[in-house]
Amino acid sequence: MTAFLGHTGRITLNGLYSGSTVCVLMVETVNWMLVQPLRGKGLRVRSTVEHFVEFGVRSMPIVGLICFLIGAIMAMQSAYSLEQWGATRLIANLVGVSALRELAPLMAAILITGRCGAAITAEIGTMKVAEEIDALHVMGLNPTKFLVVPKFLAMLLALPCVTVLSMLIMILGGYTVSVLLIGLDTQLYFEQTASALATKDLVTGLVKSVFFAVVICWVGVYRGFKVEGGAEGVGKQTTASVVNAIFLIILVDLVWTTLFYFI
Amino acid sequence: MQQDVPTTQSDIHLEVHDLVVKYGDRTVLKKVNFEVNRGEVLVILGGSGCGKSTLLRNLVGLMRPYSGQILINGKDFTGMNEEERMALRKRMGMCFQGSALFNSMTIGENVALPLREHTRLENSTIEIMTRIKLELVGLGGFDTYMPSELSGGMKKRAGLARAMAMDPEIIFYDEPSAGLDPIVAADLDMLIRKMQHTFNLTSVVVTHEMESVKLIADRVLMLDKGEVVGYGTLDELRQTDHPFVQQFFERRPNEEGGDEATYLQALTGNQN
Repeated sequence: MTAFLGHTGRITLNGLYSGSTVCVLMVETVNWMLVQPLRGKGLRVRSTVEHFVEFGVRSMPIVGLICFLIGAIMAMQSAYSLEQWGATRLIANLVGVSALRELAPLMAAILITGRCGAAITAEIGTMKVAEEIDALHVMGLNPTKFLVVPKFLAMLLALPCVTVLSMLIMILGGYTVSVLLIGLDTQLYFEQTASALATKDLVTGLVKSVFFAVVICWVGVYRGFKVEGGAEGVGKQTTASVVNAIFLIILVDLVWTTLFYFI
Repeated sequence: MQQDVPTTQSDIHLEVHDLVVKYGDRTVLKKVNFEVNRGEVLVILGGSGCGKSTLLRNLVGLMRPYSGQILINGKDFTGMNEEERMALRKRMGMCFQGSALFNSMTIGENVALPLREHTRLENSTIEIMTRIKLELVGLGGFDTYMPSELSGGMKKRAGLARAMAMDPEIIFYDEPSAGLDPIVAADLDMLIRKMQHTFNLTSVVVTHEMESVKLIADRVLMLDKGEVVGYGTLDELRQTDHPFVQQFFERRPNEEGGDEATYLQALTGNQN
């Protein structure tokens, strides 16, 4: 019984401690991203652009390919059910709406977590192990300004861009299958898609993607700074970073999907 | 190799009073006291795990001590807020054990980084200053190399060039000769001497190499299990009869076996 209570207590304390660490990190990041630049302390533009290229442009091929396939799979899968009612034209509605509202933001976020969230953790973790973070401190350079803010800004810009492109590619995937295999008419498909979609669907997807970007970055950075020991520590935290980020993304997704259902 | 550095009695650059450092419940440093004059080389000597690296981390402000004071130029470094610390750090340099060069940047960019971030100098001026610093440590022409392309000794030199970038008043070295062959290590010792001599640079060197100590030390602070066991010039230290100091100088191993009861206790894990 005592052991159980002690265990629960320790878990709670650890949870509170990491919660407070994350909060401190958030405040620091926002401070160096929004407040300090106004005081003339500057942003690291070049590093931000480099990270944007890495997170956004270089992620596009793999994210695009997978989203195309998911679009195709969705079209095939819905055809299976809709055929029974002779309503195959509704494939367009189904693919379009789920791509914009749900699947494109989610797939893009999960793939970028694996690709870039892990890279963020590994980079910061390796720097910590090699005393490079200490070196920044000693040189009077703030690691948050120097390492975190460029990644954060880049992710905040890159993920929505990738998401919008993924939406288009996913619809294209659905279209390809519908026209080639199911025999829908091209014009009909696009008319159906256009009639099914509203601006609200796009906004839903974009709002989600912004929040996913925040989750990926903060989990990545938090885990990176938590690295201790050597290469093994980097590996452990990188794994934890990806698992935590994906879990939180799904959780945030659930919250927003519920909210948007009622709005 | 003892140079006569012109110092006056009152010109104390770095003072440490009753420094206590704890990791959780474990006390790592117990009431450490010492001072370093301007332009002097102090060597912090001790075995592995004696707290010498911890002491250094406290001196540069990477850790906050449990109690005690660190005064730099007479100002209390431990009580400062982050902004004041940052300002003071621009006048400090540190050479890390593993050089801690930024692996994503070239050697030149590494050395130029503090200048780019802390000064408003023209790009061309920064480039010239970078080359001067690299020349100073014998790495002229290496500015476009990546850290991974350099040998261990060269990396340490590059780390020194970066530490010297802002023309510091005081410089800290963490195990400068660790992992280097004797010739390269001796070269680095000479470099430490040269820097101190040319720029009247106050230097604090953490090491466990007796050979380096003979070459570079003006004064030596010897630590054992977090306590100061010797403090003075090398000759003064040789005169003391503290068993640990003598053992260290004579490079004698610890007595084997020890107390039989303690040994049994350690084996069985019995706390009684």
